[in-house]
Parts: sequence; structure tokens; C-alpha cells
Amino acid sequence: MTETDNKLILSIPSKGRLKDDTLSIFKKAGFVISKTGDERGYSGVIEGMNGVDVWFSSASEIAYQLKSGKAHIGVTGEDLIQENIYDADTKVNLLQSLNFGHADVVVAVPKCWLDVYKMADLEEMAPQFYREHNRRLRVATKYMMLTRRFFSSHGIVGYRIVESLGATEGSPAAGTAELIVDITSTGSTLEANHLKILDDGVILKSQAHLVASRTATWSQEQLDFKQKLKECMQAQFA
Amino acid sequence: MTAETAQKFKALEAQASTLFEIFTNAQYEPVAPAVLQPADIFLDQIGEMLRARTYVFTAPDGEELCLRPDLTVPISRLYLERHPDASAVARYCYNGSAFRFQPEGRTQARPREFRQAGIENIGVRDLEKAEAETLGLTIKAVQACGLKSFIIRFGDLGLFQALIEALDIPPRWQARLKHQFWRPASFHDLLHRLLSDEPATQRSQASIILTKLAGAPEKDASEIVRQYLEKQGIPFVSDRSLTEIAERLLEKREDIHGPPLSKDIAQLIENYLAISGPPRAAFARIVDLSKVAQINIDGALQAYTKRLDLFAEADIPLSDAIFNAEFGRNLEYYTGFVFQLEHPELDLPAGHIGGGGRYDHLIGEIGKGHSIPAVGGGIHTERLLLAVEGLSIEGEDTEND
Repeated sequence: MTETDNKLILSIPSKGRLKDDTLSIFKKAGFVISKTGDERGYSGVIEGMNGVDVWFSSASEIAYQLKSGKAHIGVTGEDLIQENIYDADTKVNLLQSLNFGHADVVVAVPKCWLDVYKMADLEEMAPQFYREHNRRLRVATKYMMLTRRFFSSHGIVGYRIVESLGATEGSPAAGTAELIVDITSTGSTLEANHLKILDDGVILKSQAHLVASRTATWSQEQLDFKQKLKECMQAQFA
Repeated sequence: MTAETAQKFKALEAQASTLFEIFTNAQYEPVAPAVLQPADIFLDQIGEMLRARTYVFTAPDGEELCLRPDLTVPISRLYLERHPDASAVARYCYNGSAFRFQPEGRTQARPREFRQAGIENIGVRDLEKAEAETLGLTIKAVQACGLKSFIIRFGDLGLFQALIEALDIPPRWQARLKHQFWRPASFHDLLHRLLSDEPATQRSQASIILTKLAGAPEKDASEIVRQYLEKQGIPFVSDRSLTEIAERLLEKREDIHGPPLSKDIAQLIENYLAISGPPRAAFARIVDLSKVAQINIDGALQAYTKRLDLFAEADIPLSDAIFNAEFGRNLEYYTGFVFQLEHPELDLPAGHIGGGGRYDHLIGEIGKGHSIPAVGGGIHTERLLLAVEGLSIEGEDTEND
């Protein structure tokens, strides 16, 4: 085994507010992260800790790294954990919510649908829609798994998912879907696109979490580090 | 193929030829539809939930394809290719691979890749006769493979439909109850909502617009909705028309102002769905219920007895059969008679090794043409082999890859 094989991999967001908030909370908790080599590179260290390699990755990539055990610990949104890891509870462990990166995953429909304000209305209108338009309701989303699970828990089946990788809120106006499942933090984008959230349509109130992988190989030393990191983070919210 | 060893492969092949011999001797024509199917048709017919268990992928040219999760839809497509006007009688048999993701993990009894063998009986107008023929042949086939003990469980979605249609309740409720039948929890919620004396929770925009619609003639509803949207500055960003929105608002208005569902009717529905037992005893119970409730479902009852008589004539062993009024709730494209063959020792929730039923709307919906009666039965051949060989099939995952 080479030296790097023994290192604990900590994977954190590589850009934007998520990155800044992550670096800041780690610093407050006593872990100063700095990049190694080029500032535009994607690797770093925690100052004074030789046993840890820091990776800078995209938030959804972090979910995959935790799932496969390539990373031991990561910071990413709960929405991405639930969406990208089929059986999340067996693959990862949410150590601590971090009180940033807040976003709700919601079901939103056109405001002009005055007859629809609950999830149950969707299934009730589905047969009428099928009769009039000869197709199922289309839901635009990048959250295919969360959508299926949530719709199924509400007994809703008369729909089809249209995968959307950007500008999802525009789908109803563009005519590519009837409704959407997407994240919203302030609701202003939904408002601008003339959409409303269903009364019982909040799928997940997501925020950034400190997450540990259950599939990675852990040495005793690394387990100790995880425990220490968890306690230091928890202390920030005590 | 899922065969892990040459021995198991040979056993499956031998079983397949026994099954095929039974089917072809009964004048069922062997067909072999494509394994790769257009994803769209499946997803439209089977819905999102089976999509979660279907292997869907994109071809290099961008076409959305899937590995078929069952064979009934591919055979319906094959039938339509040969008979575009969907009027011919056809009897097909098949034995081919099907693929389903197993969310609870793969086991010998729950493989993700399995071979399904079965028959489809399309276009026969004497419905009960076609049903008895299908069930009889399916049973004959599993018996020929050496299966000795099994239970026949069956249901009748036609009876449920007849019951709902005979009730003295508004058509919109009948439509909703029929629609929600497939989802027991939602069905129960719906019954509960209809029973409630309190008006449906009125919230936000819905309550305002409903106040505006109160007392308005139906023909004015669309215009009232249009004016309201205009005044509120809400643009129209949907394929749904004003008429569709107004139509549902009027239904909501009726629900709020009309009387709630009577307790007797709700109880009758619950009592019917709770019926489970030997076919003749279940029949007597259904007749009782209909007499007490003074509803006429004679047509559906006659079909039920005719079916049982034909089963007896076809030597179908009814002594171990169970009628379940609820059975069939998880199989949305079925429309009438449904059945399942169960082997109690098989380590599965109902130990089911085969099943099928009537699907009178499927071909019409795939072909966008008129409906044609059809009934089929399929056998999960790996499970049949396990049941026959009496292998222990514990929950562990035995496949490696």
C-alpha cells in the first residue's frame, strides 16, 4: 500500500456559495483547508493534518464518490444524496446538517390551474387530461428518483417524467411539460414563470450536510478523525 | 440467460420445450417479438412505477429504448403489425427473456433477467370461454412440467366495475373510485373524503373562484374563469384549456354543495373488497351483498358463474382456489378476470409463479384504434423450475457479476 492509499478523502464543493460556506464552517470548526499547487486545481489539504486529502468536486459528483466509497467524507446537499443514491441509508450516513445551501424540492404547477392545489388533484385530473390530450401529464425534472418516490407515496401514477437538465421552470410555458419538480430557495423563479407550489407539494427541505460514506474502507485512525470532525461541527450548532 | 450452470441451462431448456409442446398442440402459434422495445409505448401503458423497474437507455441515434419488462405489450404490438385493423382472432405462445430491476435485491426467485413463457388469446368474443381456455392451458403447462401443488387465486375487475356503476352515486364519483381502485391507500382516502360531512378543504385561489362560480350556470363557467385569470394577471401557460379547468371546478362545487357519500354505500364497497374465500362461497356472499343493497349486478354475476362452470368442465382444480375481490389491484392494464398461480413454498410474498388476466383496452390504446378483447397467461419459468425441483431458495443473492 502506498501512502496515498491510506489517506482519508474529504470531498467538498468546488465552486460558488457552497464552496465558500463549506470552507468557512470548516475554518470555524478548527479545520483550515487550503489548495495544494495551482489555485485553479482541484486538490487540497487540511493544515496540520497529513492523513487527509481534500478534493474539490461538483456537488453531485460528491454524492457519487460517497456512494462508491471513493471519498470517506463529503459536503453536499441532501437533495443530491436522496436523488443519486438508490438506497441512501445503507450507503451513507448524514453526520450533521450545516445550515447553508437551503433549497426545497417542490412540485409546482401553472398558476392558471385554479382547480389544482393539492397532490390528490393531480391524480384526479389525470384521466381528464388523458381524454382531452391523448397523453399522460408530463413532469419536467432532474430529480427523477425523488419525483417517482414522492408521486408514488401519494398514489399518483398518471404521469410521465421528462428529464430536464436546465431551465426546468420554463418547461410549462415552453410546452415541453405540464408541471415541474425542481428546487427553489426563494420562490421568485417560480413566480416569474407563473407557477405555484402545491399545498402538500414540498418533497424535501434540503440543506448542505456533512456526510460519511458507509462503503469506504475506514482505518481506526480515520474513524477517530470522523468522530472528531463530527463533534467539532456539531459544536457549531449547539 | 440467467442460467448459472450448464445443468440449469439444460433444465430450463427442457422445461421450455415441454411448455411449448403444450401450447403448440393447442394451436397457439409461437412468436418471438423483439427484446429491444421502444420505451415510449411501454412507459405510456405501464406508467412511471414500472419505469422505475425497467432498463431504459438511449440508442446511439438518440432513440429511447428499453429491455422489455414483460411480453404482453410486445405481443400486442406484433399483433397490430400483422392485423392493423385489430379484428382478427389470434392465439400466440412465447418463451422469451424479460428484464426487471429488483429494488429489494436479486435472488434466485427474483432475478433481474428471467424467461417468461405464456399464451395470449386475442379477439375471442366469448369472454368466459377464452378465460377458461387460457387458465386451463396455463395450468396444464405447469402440471406437464411437474408442478403438483399450487393454489389458484383469482379476481374479477368486471365485478368491481359493475358494482360501482350500479351504485346510486354521481358519475364523477364512480369515475374517481374506478380510477383509484389500483391504489388501495388512495382509494381508502378517497372513500374517506367522500364520506366526510365537511366540505373539501377550501384553500387560497380555489375558494375564491368557487365562490364566484356558486350559482352560475355551467355554460358560463369557462368565461368566469377566464375573466378571473385576466383580472388577477395570471397568464395562461398550459395546454389545458379553460373548459378543462372550469369542468373540474364545477365538480368541486358539486362536491362542496352536494350531500356526502352515504355510510351504507361506503360500507358496501368496503365489504365487497374484503371478500375472500372459495369461489362458490364468495359468490354467495356477493349475491347477499347485492340483495341487501338492492343493486343490480346480474350481468357480472352471470359471467362469474359461467366462468366457474367452464373451469369445472375444463378440469381446473377449484378445490384449492381462492377468489379475492381485491386481487388485481397492482396490475393496471387488466380489465376483467385476473388470476395467479401460487406455490406456497416459494419464498416470495404470494409465492407466485405465473398469472395473467383480461386486458381488453391495451391493444386499442397501443394502436390508437378500437378495442379488442384479449386474455393471456404467463409463467415465470425460473420460479417454476425452482418450485418443481424443490430447491431451497433463501433470500441470499446468488448471482455474481
